[in-house]
Amino acid sequence: MATGTLGTYSPSQSLERRHQQQKRTDFQEVDWARSDGRNFHQCRPAFLRTGAASSASGSAYAEFGSTKVIVSVFGPRESKKAMLYSDVGRLNCHVTYTTFSTPIRGQGFEHKEYSSMLHKALEGAIMLETFPKTTVDIFALVLESGGGDLPVIISCASLAIADAGIMMYDLVSAVSLSCFGKNMVIDPTSEEEACQDGSLMITYMPSRNEVTQFTLTGEWPTARINEAMELCLDACSKLADILRSCLKDNASELTA
Amino acid sequence: MTSTEGYKPESGLAAEIEVEAYHRLFPLQYYERHLAESVRPDSRALGRARDTTIALGPVTSADGSALVKIGDTTVLAAIKLEVMTPSIDSPDVGSVAVDFQMPPICSPVVRPGRPAEVAPVIAKQLSDVIMSSGMINLQELSLISGKAAWMAYLDIYCLNADGSLFDAALLSATAAFSHLQIPLVSLSDDGKLITVSEELKDKAAVEPVNKENRKLTIAVAPFSLTCIVHGKYILADPTSEEESVMDTHVTVVLDSKERLVSLYKAGGAVLLHTSVVKDCIVLAKQRMEELSEILRESLSAMEVD
Repeated sequence: MATGTLGTYSPSQSLERRHQQQKRTDFQEVDWARSDGRNFHQCRPAFLRTGAASSASGSAYAEFGSTKVIVSVFGPRESKKAMLYSDVGRLNCHVTYTTFSTPIRGQGFEHKEYSSMLHKALEGAIMLETFPKTTVDIFALVLESGGGDLPVIISCASLAIADAGIMMYDLVSAVSLSCFGKNMVIDPTSEEEACQDGSLMITYMPSRNEVTQFTLTGEWPTARINEAMELCLDACSKLADILRSCLKDNASELTA
Repeated sequence: MTSTEGYKPESGLAAEIEVEAYHRLFPLQYYERHLAESVRPDSRALGRARDTTIALGPVTSADGSALVKIGDTTVLAAIKLEVMTPSIDSPDVGSVAVDFQMPPICSPVVRPGRPAEVAPVIAKQLSDVIMSSGMINLQELSLISGKAAWMAYLDIYCLNADGSLFDAALLSATAAFSHLQIPLVSLSDDGKLITVSEELKDKAAVEPVNKENRKLTIAVAPFSLTCIVHGKYILADPTSEEESVMDTHVTVVLDSKERLVSLYKAGGAVLLHTSVVKDCIVLAKQRMEELSEILRESLSAMEVD
């Protein structure tokens, strides 16, 4: 049936590489226009909706520009028989990509690194003592990957957990930032991420003023790190307000 | 027979809890009492399907995509085109690879280590129906005879499983093929095909290979309806709860010219009479007309944009 499985290739490959080489030289200049018309310190508009999957205890759908993620939360439900008794609840996080989420078709794979980072980011915010002996399963499916995937997954997951009624200390919001030499660009798209010098991602609980996860990679001029942190924390608080208002709208829809 | 016969609860809340307990303890009798009144728990008539919506083009990184919701069942289909070398005995024919997946988000029974059992069954059924219904003319997928043709990877993901998965998947596949936009490609210097983007189209020296052929012609589109048969009742478009309680499913696939493409009945407690099969086909015909109307409306809404 599938005759050419060995030798299929995507026609857009070589063109992308040429574009990327062009962009690398562009980004080193002082001022350049972002592809979607935002300025350097502007995040993408967020579209959030809870209750996307009715068979789950809680679910949420998030769309930030062209990054689309759907997260379902199941639980608290019985832990696997092999797990030993534990006084606190367990979290099980799983992040999968669809085959059509990247511009070039890949295999639908589980992103193990993102799964463990999602686990670390949410661990601090959920009150695990409220569901001992049981497990809460958090499954994320990335429908389209347009850059800044992990922050979107984390914010969407905290919305889904709130929708499932699992107790948390606070809503968790995450924002990432890219550094290009002297310029700092918040909420990068995938082309910008590919040519960045360094990146910073902060996951933050605004009401308690606590950071649950802080990831800094790449080349950073030391003086800029502080400024970058301030930018991220500000963006996180604004995003948490948006998450909160989405939950409130949903709750008022149900009672209306 | 049941514990609620002689007992009449006073307040509304107690009555609700009684109904819920009856539902959990005796699901089959719960449904039978509804069927005796010719109605279902979600107040649908027996032959009526749930509200269906189609959204075209939700995924921009794919060449064609569609999101279909039948009631709460949500299915997303996306097509990505890649270039392949056609086989020697059919040099000007492309190919389609169909895959149906149920990720863990769709239902509590699917876990990361334990994939759903119905997923490969539905994938095989879908690919049989799509190939045999003549919806796609594979010759339209050819680029350069003998050297290059399109391989269309159709990936269907179930985002929420609430019954009638095959119907939703087939509808999303049909909608995604109708929405498919084939990219312009031209031959590069090293013999490979590359896409021609909008800016380069005017100043490039290369000629696009497939200027005329940007959309697939869908001659006939297949539409399906799954029914459950229980005793003498036929329920169209079951929810996952109804599917788990009553196990005799019949799937009828008709194309838009009212020809029967496929009829699938896999075991089950009830053995069907030919009259029942005919009734199922009549219900499928009504559903086919509804669905082709909905598909036509969403396609024309896309044209206007």
